[in-house]
Amino acid sequence: MIHVQNREIVVPGQLIAEGNYRHLEGSYREGNKIYSAVVGLADVKGDRVRVIPLQGRYIPHVGDLVIGVVIDNHSSGWILDINSPYTANLFVSELVHRKVDLNKEDISKFLSIGDVVLASVKEVDEYMRVLLETPGRGMGKIKGGKLVEISPAKIPRVLGRKGSMLKVIESKTGCTLAVGQNGRIIIWGKDPERVNLAVEAILMIEREAHTSGLTDRVSLMLEKQREGGI
Amino acid sequence: MEKPEKLLIDGKRLDGRAPDELRPLKIKAGVLERADGSAYVELGNNKVFAAVYGPREMHPRHDQQPDSAVLRCRYSMAPFSVEDRKRPGPDRRSMEISKVTREALEPVLFLELYPRSVIDVFIEVLQADAGTRTAGINAAAVALADAGVPMRDLVSSVAVGKIDGTIILDLMKEEDQFGTTDMPVAIIPRKKVVTLLQMDGHFTKEEFKQALDLAFKGCEKIYEVQRQALKEKYAIKEGE
Repeated sequence: MIHVQNREIVVPGQLIAEGNYRHLEGSYREGNKIYSAVVGLADVKGDRVRVIPLQGRYIPHVGDLVIGVVIDNHSSGWILDINSPYTANLFVSELVHRKVDLNKEDISKFLSIGDVVLASVKEVDEYMRVLLETPGRGMGKIKGGKLVEISPAKIPRVLGRKGSMLKVIESKTGCTLAVGQNGRIIIWGKDPERVNLAVEAILMIEREAHTSGLTDRVSLMLEKQREGGI
Repeated sequence: MEKPEKLLIDGKRLDGRAPDELRPLKIKAGVLERADGSAYVELGNNKVFAAVYGPREMHPRHDQQPDSAVLRCRYSMAPFSVEDRKRPGPDRRSMEISKVTREALEPVLFLELYPRSVIDVFIEVLQADAGTRTAGINAAAVALADAGVPMRDLVSSVAVGKIDGTIILDLMKEEDQFGTTDMPVAIIPRKKVVTLLQMDGHFTKEEFKQALDLAFKGCEKIYEVQRQALKEKYAIKEGE
């Protein structure tokens, strides 16, 4: 039995469902009852119960795409800030995809402190030590572009269902976006005004993340702005 | 302040409240821009802010727990919060309140989800009128939820006491100072578990039971206001 409406705002300790349901993020089970653990939107689909959080820090999970900033180096790699309570480790071999002889090669030519890196999470252990890798195209050190930081809880809305929101922003502004699960977004574009327009859209999504029909409103806003000058 | 002749006149208290009545309560969530979560509580003449930072990397490193997060609480009173200037900085009293506040909040948090990190809770009392530790706990619970920290439930807290032989709810300054007993209580409302219970003064066994019952009733009312405050933060914008 479900005790809330779909997409209703729930608070910690609120009863969501009773009986045979699977509970995912943002909720916990006690006996045969499922309660919310965070402030968020209740989401019930079939026998799945979860709460979409509206706030909170980024906690790394294997496979996440993240955007990190190099904060330190060590003999065989770098330590990155990933906008989380935990720092991440990136080894040279994971960055350049080959075996590197540390005695023969100076690794400081690859990355230095302050560089921005697009990477994915390779491993997280029980002590929350994080390892990164850069397997995909476009991963590794980022050159150019504009970095925007928003609350990590709002990243799913920036992507939209199956990336629909992202497609809207990319097509209406003509920019290319890389969205990290950790709340950082990089925007590449030729025209600085259009890049700023994409930033506007992202900030709008952050402000109104908990409302419905957002994709249409963002699309409308971008069209209006484009008519007015750009 | 002079001792009033009677604290209870014709069943009414000095401020006109019935013995089982709370002071006017106002809670607002998400009031501080820089904090991850925050809350502001007004309970009668008490004005209290709570700010939550984290979970974040813990310094000093040697205080990290390898398998769980650490909760750090700091209760502090502004120098201008009381009639005679309070010397700023931690003292015996505020260290004790920080400790009991931490222990009142810890049971509801899923600290094991964030190994090696810390969750900082700062409680600042701007204006005090008895019952600031309970107001602080109420504010901190809302601020933690506002920060998106996973919790089993909120924590609600209220003081009960005895004046002129009558059990009363939510003591104000005169009642605290000249009354017989002051007993702050914090509970986890859903499970009805007590997480803080202190007592200054004395109760008989029957009075204690009666007082605890009254505290539970008061906490239920506060719990409702806390939940409303959290929902309101997002509800207003929904009309846009």
